[in-house]
Amino acid sequence: MTAVTPTESSDAAHPVNGLDEVVHQRVRLGILTITHEARRVEFGYLRTQLELTAGNLSKHLSVLEEAGLIEIEKGYEGKRGRTWITLTAAGNTALIEEIGRLKQLIARVETADPTEDR
Amino acid sequence: MTTESAPAAGDPRRLLADMRTLAHRVRLDQRMTWSALLVLAAATLVAIPFDWFGMKLDCAPDGSCAYARRGMLYYWPWAMLLAYAAIAFLHVRAARARGLGSRVWPYAITGAVTTVVFPGAWVALAVYFSNHPYPEGPLPYWWYVLDRLVMPWGMIGVTLLVLAWLERNVALLLFTVGYLVLVLLVLPMSDGTRLVHWGGLRAQMAVPQLIVGVVLLLGALGFRRRQR
Repeated sequence: MTAVTPTESSDAAHPVNGLDEVVHQRVRLGILTITHEARRVEFGYLRTQLELTAGNLSKHLSVLEEAGLIEIEKGYEGKRGRTWITLTAAGNTALIEEIGRLKQLIARVETADPTEDR
Repeated sequence: MTTESAPAAGDPRRLLADMRTLAHRVRLDQRMTWSALLVLAAATLVAIPFDWFGMKLDCAPDGSCAYARRGMLYYWPWAMLLAYAAIAFLHVRAARARGLGSRVWPYAITGAVTTVVFPGAWVALAVYFSNHPYPEGPLPYWWYVLDRLVMPWGMIGVTLLVLAWLERNVALLLFTVGYLVLVLLVLPMSDGTRLVHWGGLRAQMAVPQLIVGVVLLLGALGFRRRQR
């Protein structure tokens, strides 16, 4: 009797393997989603919607900016400093791919044989 | 929303649901439906005196009248351009104040493009009937519907459909469908109502416009109230 192990190719095809660690994070996914919908979003709006501290949000924004997924623009409106975030083309693609992978994952779980894990 | 990383094989269904909720919230915060309706209501109501005083009316002794609505032709293209510019300005300003970008541009551009439809149709008809005789007998019903569609009030409705789609706004879609039924099938926008027995043809033309203006105004008030 031989043990059946998953082949390399079937393992690589699993949607989990394609998940981007930068994007596949609850807050960062939220930032990308809001920025995608809003076209352009202000730091304060993100902080309120995601219920984060300014420091925490800044850290996540830095990760996304370093990965080239967003652009951060700082400016002033009157005396008030404002930070605007826009999605880059790479960020848009990353978000679409992430949604695709999540849907694949759901489809895979739903179509999986329930006896497979036993 | 928590800050911890989602496990690689976390709950994708919940992640997608969270994303949908956030996207929906952004769409709600970007909405400024009432201001668009208010500006369009103002444009419609201001058009009434232009139509009234700009109408060229030649009445024969037998009581039959020939008319040309010159005031409308001069008023509406500029009014539409100004109205859509004002709507775009108000939307962008409100969205910016809320910390968001705006989705109004496709709507404003569509609206500005429809500006040419009414004068274009008017010129096309004038050129056509300069070489062709007017048809004998009553015109078919679809002709009236088409005529009302290319008029500014019809174009306002068509453009509102674009706004409803951009805002993913079902309430606005329902309002717009009702509005289009009113201006295309119910109100005699192009030939005036015979139910008015005072003020002559000018008043008969003004009353349907007044109704449209009031409907848009009530729509603006309703959406404003709903947004609060």
